[in-house]
Amino acid sequence: MAATINFTSPTKTQSSRFFFPDLLGKNTTPTLSFYPIPKSSFLLPSISLRPASKSDVVIKRRHLSVVVSALKNLSHAELVPVPSESDAIPGTFPSISGVYAVYDGNEDLQFLGISRNIAASVVAHKKSVPELCSSIKFGVVDDPDRAALTQAWKSWMEEHISATGKVPPGNEPGNSTWVRQPPKKKPDLKLTPGRHVKLTVPLEDLIDRLVKENKVVAFIKGSRSAPLCGFSQRVVGILESEGVEYESVDVLDEQYNSGLRETLKKYSNWPTFPQIFVNGELIGGCDILSSMYEKGELKDLLKK
Amino acid sequence: MASRGLLSRASRIKSKLQSALEATVVEVEDVSYQHAGHVAVKDSGANETHFNVKIISDKFDGQNLVKRHRMVYDLLSDELQSGLHAISIKANTPKEAGLSN
Repeated sequence: MAATINFTSPTKTQSSRFFFPDLLGKNTTPTLSFYPIPKSSFLLPSISLRPASKSDVVIKRRHLSVVVSALKNLSHAELVPVPSESDAIPGTFPSISGVYAVYDGNEDLQFLGISRNIAASVVAHKKSVPELCSSIKFGVVDDPDRAALTQAWKSWMEEHISATGKVPPGNEPGNSTWVRQPPKKKPDLKLTPGRHVKLTVPLEDLIDRLVKENKVVAFIKGSRSAPLCGFSQRVVGILESEGVEYESVDVLDEQYNSGLRETLKKYSNWPTFPQIFVNGELIGGCDILSSMYEKGELKDLLKK
Repeated sequence: MASRGLLSRASRIKSKLQSALEATVVEVEDVSYQHAGHVAVKDSGANETHFNVKIISDKFDGQNLVKRHRMVYDLLSDELQSGLHAISIKANTPKEAGLSN
């Protein structure tokens, strides 16, 4: 059943990406391969996995006492216009989990979805398909468990199908207008063509070029899709939640990044991993990145 | 070093940081157990590999985070070369920590 949230296993479907311009000739632009996008049946709504912010939690508590009754029928739920300013959306819709129905300007149902944060999902839809996103019905599901959400979604879907005889266009198989695609993770960069190939350039120079030619580079333990250390995992999580384009290099990859750990420690004068570089400069490890992220400083740094 | 092996790494870290940074507060917590299954540690059977360190020192004044962390790493370079794998560092000045001087 679970196809829309798809943590595809890494490596096999990825093409290799090397950072070794001299030996690869014209193939210096890394090729990106995308994961095959699984076909989701219409029975599979997507869940928005945005973490709830502090204000969401407050709203949630307030709502808990209110929303004790069972989910309303789709036909009984109130049709709420989507504010034109996206800033106003979180004040109009709750930032908690539930089922929601998106209607176009003719009040035709376009899409039924479930979300862990209804307001955030509406913001995202409004942004990606404003023309189809005129008003919303929502039903809060108190128990954010996926089964409970799916149940709520099914009941609305069944109601709609029995009333109209059709599936909302956005929920038809193959329609990807509304469903957020699984994140397309880039493969990690490889510094050398392999441990048995003699380098024509010192590894240190390769590191230097890599961090200077790419805005954000994270040297991590393990791959970005499967970090092998909690700190590296945190770094990947932070960079991804900032939505920043970054390159990752696996310092444990003995085949393609042999000798990297020791060389990088010297290059950056930093004894531990992960290490994050922005605009060619070491900004630190997991602690510093976390601290900057929590203070909101990271956003500013990444904008530069 | 004669003291090695007699004292725990935690107490060595603590005394090194305390004396060199003239720290108001040094807290060292051995969290190696949390990383027992960690790739880099798993096979070596090493212990005393991961620590949380909290330091409050006037010497951090005017230094950015990278510099503060480097100061700590520099003081602990012996340890880092002898099996210390990772330190989570919180480095603040007394003012930042809300302590009055």
